[in-house]
Amino acid sequence: MKQTLIVFVRDEPGVLNRVSSLIRKRNFNIESLIAGRTDKNGITRLTIVLNEPDKTKQKIVVNNLKKLIDVYDVVDATEIDCHIREYLLVKIRSSEVTEKIKVLIDSDNCKVLEKKDDVLITEFSGNAETIRKIINEMKTINILELMCSGKMAMVSGFNEEHQPELIQTDPDIYSQISTDLN
Amino acid sequence: MDRKKNELTGAEIIWECLAREGVDVVFGYPGGAILPAYDALNKYTDKIHHVLVRHEQGATHMADGYARASGKVGVAMATSGPGAANMVTGIATAMMDSIPIVCITGQVPRAAIGSDAFQETDIAGAVIPVSKHSYLVMDINDLANTIKEAFAVARSGRPGPVLVDIPKDIQTQSINFIYPEAPIVIPGNNIIKKANINDLEEARDLIYNAERPVILAGHGILLSGASEEVINLAETANIPIAWTLLGSGAIPSSHPLNMGMMGMHGEFAVNNAIQKADLLIACGMRFDDRVTGNVKTYSPDSKKIHIEIDPAEINKNVRVDVGIFGDLKTVLKQLNPLLRQKSNQNWLKDITVWRSESLERDIINLQTDTLYGAQVIYDLWKETKGNAIVVSDVGQHQMLEAQYFQHEEPNTLLTSGGLGTMGFSLPAAIGASFSKTEKEIWVIVGDGSIQMTITELATAVQEQANIKIAIINNGYLGMVRQWQQLFYDARYKETPISSPDYLKIAEAYGLEGFRVKKRNEISETVYKVQKIKGPVLVEFVVEQHDMVYPMVPAGADLHEMINRPVHDQFQESEM
Repeated sequence: MKQTLIVFVRDEPGVLNRVSSLIRKRNFNIESLIAGRTDKNGITRLTIVLNEPDKTKQKIVVNNLKKLIDVYDVVDATEIDCHIREYLLVKIRSSEVTEKIKVLIDSDNCKVLEKKDDVLITEFSGNAETIRKIINEMKTINILELMCSGKMAMVSGFNEEHQPELIQTDPDIYSQISTDLN
Repeated sequence: MDRKKNELTGAEIIWECLAREGVDVVFGYPGGAILPAYDALNKYTDKIHHVLVRHEQGATHMADGYARASGKVGVAMATSGPGAANMVTGIATAMMDSIPIVCITGQVPRAAIGSDAFQETDIAGAVIPVSKHSYLVMDINDLANTIKEAFAVARSGRPGPVLVDIPKDIQTQSINFIYPEAPIVIPGNNIIKKANINDLEEARDLIYNAERPVILAGHGILLSGASEEVINLAETANIPIAWTLLGSGAIPSSHPLNMGMMGMHGEFAVNNAIQKADLLIACGMRFDDRVTGNVKTYSPDSKKIHIEIDPAEINKNVRVDVGIFGDLKTVLKQLNPLLRQKSNQNWLKDITVWRSESLERDIINLQTDTLYGAQVIYDLWKETKGNAIVVSDVGQHQMLEAQYFQHEEPNTLLTSGGLGTMGFSLPAAIGASFSKTEKEIWVIVGDGSIQMTITELATAVQEQANIKIAIINNGYLGMVRQWQQLFYDARYKETPISSPDYLKIAEAYGLEGFRVKKRNEISETVYKVQKIKGPVLVEFVVEQHDMVYPMVPAGADLHEMINRPVHDQFQESEM
């Protein structure tokens, strides 16, 4: 079973290095890692998917991530309901689009970004299964370029237990201290 | 004049912040990128003493030894590039043994970072896997806060080494300096101190129902200052105590419930008790492979309680029934009042029988022509009345020290346990000598280990560090040779090692030296050595093919020990 982690980290240079270094040090395999900004200033949110079936080892990686000074909190979403979504960019030739691919392009989770000179660039979003199917279908024709974003997770519903503990981690504390210095 | 209102350079801010942390000694080595800081040190010599080391690895071990002996944060300083890179071994050593040190390194100017400039190393990046945290300061306005945070990180929770890398141009820049007085809040550093009541009640019931309990005493007891609470726990429920190498001294050796060291070179009685136990109470230890042997067969019938400040250690190597996150002292203060008196008579009787069996095999009473390492260490303990801080290195002598030097107080054995860093002892002892201890400091070191950091003899002499260096010279990398003898059919490849003439070495470096070849010379020599102030060296020439027993071969079951051979002579004298 794959392990899905939502990790909240300090938005600073080198943080990704620390996270990936820890995962490498503990000998885990990263299937997907995606990082992005959140609504909160100074906090970056990561979704990490690891190939680790052993539950004990899964706990070890969570506890070790929590130990990193730059990590605010970790939510292990492996065994809770959540939406895991991916984003896909594909460049193909318009002339090669098959009936099946046309159905995909006409579906709700697709948007055409560019169509000129026989080049078609589209974006797709969906869960892992949908994206996998789309990629498989695309493989029936000549793919010019393709890129998958990696998995982004959000826990379903609202449950206090699965909320990250960011209360005492208000980054304003930092800005306050550095303004004192100025 | 109020310094706070002054404009200070980054270099001055470094020393200002160190002084505010209560630092009075820094171990370091100057160089290009840290020169502004060294220049600024001129203004702070009344507050901070700088010890010039001979190699930056030595600086980190000194900071480490100082921290272990004093309980304060040790500070090491070096320049960029090679200076910083030389610190990595010492940082990794401190990391594995949870020792709070702060390493300050110079870095090339900001504009040159990333250009492969002369003496540039990404040290903050390089030490990520072997440090608790590392910082690269890129704005002088962050400098004071970063240093303050570095100290807070180093000493909080499970302590560890922290590195602060400071570019040269930040050291020369000036700002109107206001010290950040507000306490540091580290968002990602949530430390749980207290245990929750459910866990405590579960632990209480397990202790009450156990018939064959054992306390596993680890380094966490020293770090948390929880000796009294552990003794209290042991005495209330009559639980025998086994300790790890770094837990040595956590409880007095003479305590009736003390069994001795556990693990690879622990006594048979201790390991046997652990294997046969029905309850293990692990206090501030991490079930290292040197302690457990084969984890699959480790203490198979026992329930396990693990009290540990680092949640990542719980269920890491050994699955436990009750895992309690928290500061050991705080947790035991909560747990102890819940306990009821118990006698565990039969269990203690069994252990006494096993212990007498191991003692009979003891080598220290042997009358032999050659001197044995164990005899040297046993006699050093007798002669010093155990009232010393021992800094041991890594190898056979380290294990013999753990077996034969009885520590009555916490923080009286300083040794590299987790990383097993050869060359640790001499610099660590120099560091410890700055801890204002009243105790004698003895380095117990092998002929292999001393040669790794022998350059620091010059530091010891320059500082007139009050340390006594006992070199146990057996002409081999003894522990490696032991493994070759046992597991590689005695093919002694690259383990015979020559030594310089240590008396001449002592003379050349400018300290007094002695050589002991017979057991009856030990007492008199130690007496002479004790009269000397400042560093002094004693070489003990010992049996070359001595082994450290008992021993659990790596990966074997903990009770599958190779025991001490029963010596003929000893058997005869018993009859």
